[in-house]
Amino acid sequence: MDLSIQFGLEDIVCIAPALILFIASIIPLTFKVLRGNKEIRPGIAVIYAQVGLIAALLSSLILYSQQNNVFYVFYRALVFDGLSVFSTVMVILLTSVALVFSKDHFATKGKQFSEFIFLMMNAAIGMMIVAWSNDLIVTFIGIEMMSLALYLIIALSNEQTLSKEAAFKYFVLGSLASAIFLYGVAFIFGITGTTYIDKILEIAPVAISSNYMFLMGVLLVILGFCFKVSIAPFHAWTPDVYEGAPTPVTGYMATGVKLVTFVAFLRILIGDYITSDLTGRLVDVLQWLAVITMLVGNIAAIMQNGVKRMLAYSSVAHSGYILMGLVAGAVGGESWLGATGVTYYIFAYSIMTVGAFGVLSILERHEADLYSMDDLKGLASRSPWLAACFALFLLSLAGIPPTVGFFGKFFLFSAAIKQGFFWMVIWAAINSIISVYYYLRPIVMMYMHEDESKDAGPQMSSSMIAVSIMAVLVLVTGLATEPVYEFVVTAVNSLF
Amino acid sequence: MLLTTITFLPLVFAAALYLLPERFSKMATLVFSVVTFFVSTLILTSFDKAESGLQLVEQYKWIESIGVTYFLGVDGISLWLVILTTFLTPIALMGAWSSIETKSRAFCVALLALETTMLGTFLSMDIVLFYVFFEASLIPMYFMIGIWGGKRRIYATVKFFIYTMAGSLFMLLGIIALMYLGAAQNGGQLSASLLDLYKVDIPFIRDEFFNTQTLLFFAFSIAFAIKCPLFPVHTWLPDAHVEAPTPGSVILAGVLLKMGTYGFLRLVIPMFPEATLNWGWIFMFVGVFGIIYGALVAMVQPDMKKLVAYSSVSHMGYVVIGLFAWNEMGVTGALYQMLNHGISTGALFLLVGMVYERTHSREIKDYGGLAAVAPFFAIAFVIVTMSSIAVPMTNGFIGEFLILLGVWQASPIFAAFAVLGVILGAAYMLWMVKRVFFGQAGPLIEKYGDKLEINRREIATLAPLVILIFWMGLAPNHFLDWSKASLDKVVNNQFNYELTIAPTAEGSTKVAVKE
Repeated sequence: MDLSIQFGLEDIVCIAPALILFIASIIPLTFKVLRGNKEIRPGIAVIYAQVGLIAALLSSLILYSQQNNVFYVFYRALVFDGLSVFSTVMVILLTSVALVFSKDHFATKGKQFSEFIFLMMNAAIGMMIVAWSNDLIVTFIGIEMMSLALYLIIALSNEQTLSKEAAFKYFVLGSLASAIFLYGVAFIFGITGTTYIDKILEIAPVAISSNYMFLMGVLLVILGFCFKVSIAPFHAWTPDVYEGAPTPVTGYMATGVKLVTFVAFLRILIGDYITSDLTGRLVDVLQWLAVITMLVGNIAAIMQNGVKRMLAYSSVAHSGYILMGLVAGAVGGESWLGATGVTYYIFAYSIMTVGAFGVLSILERHEADLYSMDDLKGLASRSPWLAACFALFLLSLAGIPPTVGFFGKFFLFSAAIKQGFFWMVIWAAINSIISVYYYLRPIVMMYMHEDESKDAGPQMSSSMIAVSIMAVLVLVTGLATEPVYEFVVTAVNSLF
Repeated sequence: MLLTTITFLPLVFAAALYLLPERFSKMATLVFSVVTFFVSTLILTSFDKAESGLQLVEQYKWIESIGVTYFLGVDGISLWLVILTTFLTPIALMGAWSSIETKSRAFCVALLALETTMLGTFLSMDIVLFYVFFEASLIPMYFMIGIWGGKRRIYATVKFFIYTMAGSLFMLLGIIALMYLGAAQNGGQLSASLLDLYKVDIPFIRDEFFNTQTLLFFAFSIAFAIKCPLFPVHTWLPDAHVEAPTPGSVILAGVLLKMGTYGFLRLVIPMFPEATLNWGWIFMFVGVFGIIYGALVAMVQPDMKKLVAYSSVSHMGYVVIGLFAWNEMGVTGALYQMLNHGISTGALFLLVGMVYERTHSREIKDYGGLAAVAPFFAIAFVIVTMSSIAVPMTNGFIGEFLILLGVWQASPIFAAFAVLGVILGAAYMLWMVKRVFFGQAGPLIEKYGDKLEINRREIATLAPLVILIFWMGLAPNHFLDWSKASLDKVVNNQFNYELTIAPTAEGSTKVAVKE
């Protein structure tokens, strides 16, 4: 038995972004150790991290230039196709923005910031591995890597009660989800004898229509993913964890984790095998999950008075919309449309959500601040630019043209209509209408109520610049959708 | 480039406002919107009346992968609506000059942004672009009502937003379904251009609800019915109108409601002809019901602005029955009535706003004998009232008469009931005029006296409206000639309507899609 592991230059080049991120992640930590455990200035630490992120981005451009080719590296454990490049770029962008927010936030800056940066960047590596993975075990490792880092990041918060509870809750339920996922992988491995996703997809149409064990495995894997992306009724951890985590971290979790998990979800569901399962109910179940998620997320969001909790429930609702696209992408026919819709939507969702949480993290006045709707009153006169950005993010989340959120919905709805899921689309439309109500509420508070609070508007900071960049992206990618859409279509094409 | 210039000029001006000190905002906006108006009249110089197709066409690539283009064009249907928009914007601002005191720059930006979205809606010949403008128009109006509105402004503005959005989301689903249907018949090539969508053959089964054309027909109709608004989805309108600041009400009544009827005329009727013939009676019925219901509710309103708001429901009912009569008279009258309603209801909101600014009361019972202290105001009000109740020689008469003729041809029963609205309309308007302007002097009249008379600025605002009321009433052909060719095409090609691009002066018949 030959146990020697061999890999070539190609493998190294492909995972270069992750390697660079890892090296960059230990730089602030090393400096801290060399200085006798004295924290370096957060601004400097973030700059080191940003340099690493930019280097990682540049190294992923090598892959970008090859994006029509698909590379399988490390014994087919990782796959580098358009979707991998897309995810890498997005993860780098989101990490970079979230780090800037963290630098200015009360709950994250301070004495353990170097460790914080180390963990954030390693979470990013975990995310990349999830998105790159062509092997269910590697997917599992990636999920664990990113989740473990996040448990710690949440617990590192300077806030003393809610964040600890959130970290614990996330840890317990996250482990449960991982266990379910792994259990599913075991079933699949038992039947097919492989954990490579591409191999499984080849066998799946036959296996799922003849073998209950395989169906069980697929179902458990889907369940595990549903936990991770907070599909109702497995969403119960989401509001508490999102509320307890420091706001910049919430923004990072709500976008980064969801983005890569949906990419992995897409890789596993793609094709049309779920239509031929033994019970013939799997597609229906997924449709119902999508509709229930939208309803639960939106109706619960209406009732929230805390802005962060409202955004948490809104992110549950958005998972429902994305699942709708996933279903459209998993039933054959023009399934590339579904995959494109999903990918475009997670792009749109990521930039607008990270922006909205960014605004919130700038606004919070101390580490345990739970910003409520009433606190937003009169923000437009205190800080017009920030209010305008927040309004733009909210309108985009509500799907009002000409923002990117509208086009995201447009492509998702297109895919579902083209694939014939009319009822699901009508539910999605009804849900979009419900969601308008709670997305308008902060705008009402900011613009249509008198300023009651005495505190001055937030100071100019690098977080403001990051928020502004996100706002510009929301508007520009909305108005100039074609390049983004083209990029997404090319990325998704490599799946088929 | 003319149409793009007209559409985006207000937005550019809005950005320019940030370069000026805030106290000049209103003045600058007035100048800017007058400039926009004159630029928009340039369309008339190059518009060919005899041509039924699209003119001054501009088409550029936008979202190529799904066949969406940036496609503007103007024909007889949209021509006057565009000019109405650019005409009413400066009037609305000038008439309510002193009612906007706080955050005047932000207000002007909202007004100009609103103008851009309205113009874009009327000029877009690509259905996705149309939808983008149609929806985007909600945002400035939402802020306008919510920030500068009355006491219940937040309730009103959120209701307005959600109602309209609810309708248009179903239209969005319809648009997507229609595009895919078109692609299936066109070798898989998606296109959102109206030129292509009119050619789509949409399957239809008579008297059955669940078939493609009927479903699409209703998906689009709901959006436009809410926008018009038609009974029973009109309830956002009285709230929005009453709470909106005067310029907001003027624009809302004058132009925004026309987006709904324009949508019926441009999209629903020519695109879904079988469904229109099959199900049009619903809209005829709802329209007639709205005419009578709106008039009756208006009659009992104690608040002048609310009365005018409900009169809008009644008047828009006429437009809708004229459109669904789908004959030459009906459709021509409907288009004319859209313009009339914009002018006369816009003027009524301005007049109510003028007196409200002085007394801060809109209660009819507080007034009485206003004519004695404010004769010019009374003259203007009575003239506008005459236009609103369609007295001959005013524009309203032409519109309503044509509509009634058209509806009579289509269905005498509906016409008989619709005529009731004329009588009721006269009743509630004249009754209000009697109670406000004549009789015993009310408490407010004694308190304010001569101060209630309108000033020169307000006379200057009202003068163009009064002139137009008579001009359009005496010489309708000055206006209708421009639209005749396009409207005839809608009426005469019921089942094979196709929009074409008019041959340009250079002789090229097809505009290439530019990079």
